[in-house]
Amino acid sequence: MADKTKPIANAELILREEFDDWAVLFDPDSGNGFGLSPTSVFVWKLLDGRHTEEDIVEELRRNFDDVPEDAEGHIREFVQDLVSRGFAGYEIKAL
Amino acid sequence: MKIMRTPRSLDLEITSRCNLRCQYCSHFTSEGDVEDDLPLAEWLAFFEELKRCAVIDVCLQGGEPFFREDFKELLQGVVRNRMRFSILTNGTLITDEMASFLASTGRCNAVQVSIDGSVPFTHDAFRGEGNFRRALNGLRCLLRHGLSATVRVTIHRKNVLDLEAVAKFLLEEVGLPSFSTNAASHFGLCRKNSEQVQLTVEERSLAMETLLKLSRKYPCRIEAQAGPLAEATGWIEMEQARCQDKDQLPNRGYLTACGGVMSKMAIRADGIMIPCAQLPHMELGRINRDDLGEVWRKNSEFNRLRDRVKIPLTAFDYCRTCDYANYCTGNCPALAHTMSHDAWCPSPEGCLKRFLEAGGWLPRSNMSSNK
Repeated sequence: MADKTKPIANAELILREEFDDWAVLFDPDSGNGFGLSPTSVFVWKLLDGRHTEEDIVEELRRNFDDVPEDAEGHIREFVQDLVSRGFAGYEIKAL
Repeated sequence: MKIMRTPRSLDLEITSRCNLRCQYCSHFTSEGDVEDDLPLAEWLAFFEELKRCAVIDVCLQGGEPFFREDFKELLQGVVRNRMRFSILTNGTLITDEMASFLASTGRCNAVQVSIDGSVPFTHDAFRGEGNFRRALNGLRCLLRHGLSATVRVTIHRKNVLDLEAVAKFLLEEVGLPSFSTNAASHFGLCRKNSEQVQLTVEERSLAMETLLKLSRKYPCRIEAQAGPLAEATGWIEMEQARCQDKDQLPNRGYLTACGGVMSKMAIRADGIMIPCAQLPHMELGRINRDDLGEVWRKNSEFNRLRDRVKIPLTAFDYCRTCDYANYCTGNCPALAHTMSHDAWCPSPEGCLKRFLEAGGWLPRSNMSSNK
């Protein structure tokens, strides 16, 4: 059963950090690339199956100034977008 | 100048060997024509470093990449390390089974086959008898397996009058979406065979005219980054700027011709890191000994090559009085090196002023005005 609280990045994707903490998320199977802002890169690196979305927001507040009040909603939306594209998922625990 | 942490792509000369000896081959007799190919294990270890560096794709070239007996194992290493690939080939060794294997990887960006004619005579003139048929067989195998197969036509003295038939053959009969052109240039074996192979000024002018006409007939289906079509496009733009008395064209007036060194580099068949496959003498380090990212970011010669863009064309005597200096990029650094042993100067081969002084002409139907 999937624990849908702690998202995990798809290990088949490549995170290419290029300039000023901006990055490209590249899918070698499709050849598609997606630009990630420094904040998105920070979030991506926390998609390790150990952090919940709440944990990620907390880490964001610790590391960035002026994190908006509604950050949690944005993070949830971002993670769900990644999940819907197959870029992230959840660990399936053995029964 | 901002530099990426690691290169995005690499050109890998996986072998120095080839089954052909095309008379204008840029590889043979160049400093990239090395004695021994790296063993498979060295390439596989290097691919792991490329994965750590988040390299996106590699272009496998040579020599002839399919000449390597362990080509499939090598390619599996590329795929295992999450990269995509493209291949530059003469096409003659591609079998149906190999094309099927390439397709099965799901990671092939493109395979570029060299085809220089519409009939065996023009292709085989400098590539050897029977190779038109073999290359075409290879190309058809790729297409049958749904791979993105592209064709590069190298223009020379024996096919310059065949260009209309080449376009018709590739685009209408073979059914390719597009093809690209360049010209036999002053690299490798071509240096020795220049007179027989390289276009004269008249032939170059004729090729420009023909290719522009074909580009209108087949819109967006004939491409070029070098050679007569690229020159025609660039030089017409420069001539129009001169006629309109423009101060400068964007990003011109300096040695800005090649941006390749900002996103990619190359590896020779012996594992030596070089900035570009056409600058094989410029040794930057060795794979599996030197850290790729360190060489990429910190090698002083590499950074000096990137800094070429800061050198104004007016720094050179020949360019100082040139009417086109503010519209010119100084052209390919590798050609500058091979012709004048200095990559930090403009290339004489891509010089519009020299071309016109030698009696060359720009396609007149494309000029909006003359001054």
